[in-house]
Amino acid sequence: MSTTPRSQRSRAGTVAANTVGVIFVVVMAFPVYWVLNTAFKPASEVLSFTPSFWPQNPTLDNFRSAIKAPFFLVDLRNGLIITSTAVAGAIVVGFLAALAIARFRFYGRRALIVVILGVQLVPLLALLIPLYLMLNQANLTNTLFGVTLAYIVLILPYTVWTLRGFIAAVPRELDEAALVDGCSRWQTFYRIILPLTGPGLVATSIYGFIQAWNEFIVINTLNNPETQNLMAWLLQNQTQRGTAWGPLMAGALITSLPVVVFFLVVQRNIAVGLTAGAVKG
Amino acid sequence: MHAVDSPATAPPEPVAPSTPDTQGARVRRRRPEWTPLFLALPALVLLAALLAYPLGRMVVLSFQDLQLRHLFSGATPPWVGFDNYTQILTDGVFWSVVLRTAVFTVVSVSISIVLGLGIALLMGRVSNGVRVAMMITMMFVWAIPQLVSAQIFKWMVDADFGVLNYLIDQIPGVDFANHSWFADPTQGWIVITTLVVWAGIPFLAITLHAGLTQVPQELREAALVDGANAWQSLRNIVLPILRPLLVIVTTLSVIWNFGLFTQVWALRDSKPEQEYQTLATYAFTQAFGRSEYSLGSAISVVTVLLMLGVMAFYVRQMFQIGDVD
Repeated sequence: MSTTPRSQRSRAGTVAANTVGVIFVVVMAFPVYWVLNTAFKPASEVLSFTPSFWPQNPTLDNFRSAIKAPFFLVDLRNGLIITSTAVAGAIVVGFLAALAIARFRFYGRRALIVVILGVQLVPLLALLIPLYLMLNQANLTNTLFGVTLAYIVLILPYTVWTLRGFIAAVPRELDEAALVDGCSRWQTFYRIILPLTGPGLVATSIYGFIQAWNEFIVINTLNNPETQNLMAWLLQNQTQRGTAWGPLMAGALITSLPVVVFFLVVQRNIAVGLTAGAVKG
Repeated sequence: MHAVDSPATAPPEPVAPSTPDTQGARVRRRRPEWTPLFLALPALVLLAALLAYPLGRMVVLSFQDLQLRHLFSGATPPWVGFDNYTQILTDGVFWSVVLRTAVFTVVSVSISIVLGLGIALLMGRVSNGVRVAMMITMMFVWAIPQLVSAQIFKWMVDADFGVLNYLIDQIPGVDFANHSWFADPTQGWIVITTLVVWAGIPFLAITLHAGLTQVPQELREAALVDGANAWQSLRNIVLPILRPLLVIVTTLSVIWNFGLFTQVWALRDSKPEQEYQTLATYAFTQAFGRSEYSLGSAISVVTVLLMLGVMAFYVRQMFQIGDVD
């Protein structure tokens, strides 16, 4: 197969492909590079008609002024509380439901799957109006609790569906062997399924964290700045300050950091969750 | 840790701690119905209270006329039948929003899929080092929160200090200093589409690249031996095998892009002009900008109905996959 003309053609092809690949990398990476570049520039260099492609006098001023800005630290704390509570809630509730779907055949299972997959696609935005009215009636707007409830439901369907996959991947024979060896159902769950789905639980929690952390429309509508998260903070600072790009980009970097780190850890699982099994067909 | 504690309390009836093997099997046969329902119950309650109920309430609301004063007094708003629907469906503005959203969806999804597939194929052709660089770059782009990437783009296309105007201005004979990208909606939508495509490519390219590695090398080589050129091998060998995956990522892209909100919202400073409204921003603006909650609900109902076909299709695909295991 590797006749001379073909491998020559391949070599020329590889050089061409590499060139296109490098151009692609440069174009894709440019916005990321530009936010880093901006965040470390002093204000005088940010607002310049001839932008420099490297900070001439690198500084941390933008980060300082972002952190000192009104509500930054409050919203950071809120975000952490809301996100971790919502993820913990969704994981506990979601794991039980996933167990039911993955390990049992019962009346209504199909309906449950359809509901789980279907609601995942109903845009949360469409539900925002009734959600706002409900929480308003219950005096839960401007509270961390109300928005936490909304976030649990935001991440629950994905959580159930992904965990179902992880549980289904644990061979059923292991359950049966444990039952035969005298384990109770509870022990089977505790000693077999839970340890084996550990990595899946971590990955799913992290993805839930990313989703809840990145959300800003719901919280921006339901709550005031004192009870919002950092994403909403970013949006408000964009509209209020208009041109304070240095601090805004620094704030954006701080806000993105946990998400980017977490994302890189679980990237593989996210893609698998969204398209599970489609290739195997 | 919490996950460990709860199941013990959730299903109250399961088997006693010391279960002989035969009993375990018997219990499984005797009550196959209750344990799973108990397990699913908390999730069902939450979904019913915070998804099904609001969804129902939204439909009800779209047949009422809720004003701000009803919000404060708690009184039941008057029923108006199909008035809200008549109002939006006979409104030229609404249809222009629908058309704009649909055109954007078709254009942005087509560009994203073609580019994503192209990048995925390219990743199979480049040297290892370049492939790793492409992978890492795309991971970072994928990880950036939507709002943040929209703000980065807003900064880059800034009329006065944006780097894009500066770069274009360097081309001899072109004057792009202080050029506003959003004065002309066509240019503004080019920026929005670029942003959406840029942010969407990593998911598509990485997923499709993973799918391509599943195409047996022997098949492609056999096709080459039989005299097929690259295009024929792509069309007749690779694409048919990749089809199920392509269908799913296209469906997901349609669902995501049809619901476009964040990018427009951030780029237009939370108050998009008429030319930049999509169905999602339009419903939101009606409800929360003008306190027309009922009208907003009706728009949302129509949006969900418009999406229903695509969603049903996706659910069916995923259902078949879930049914296997």
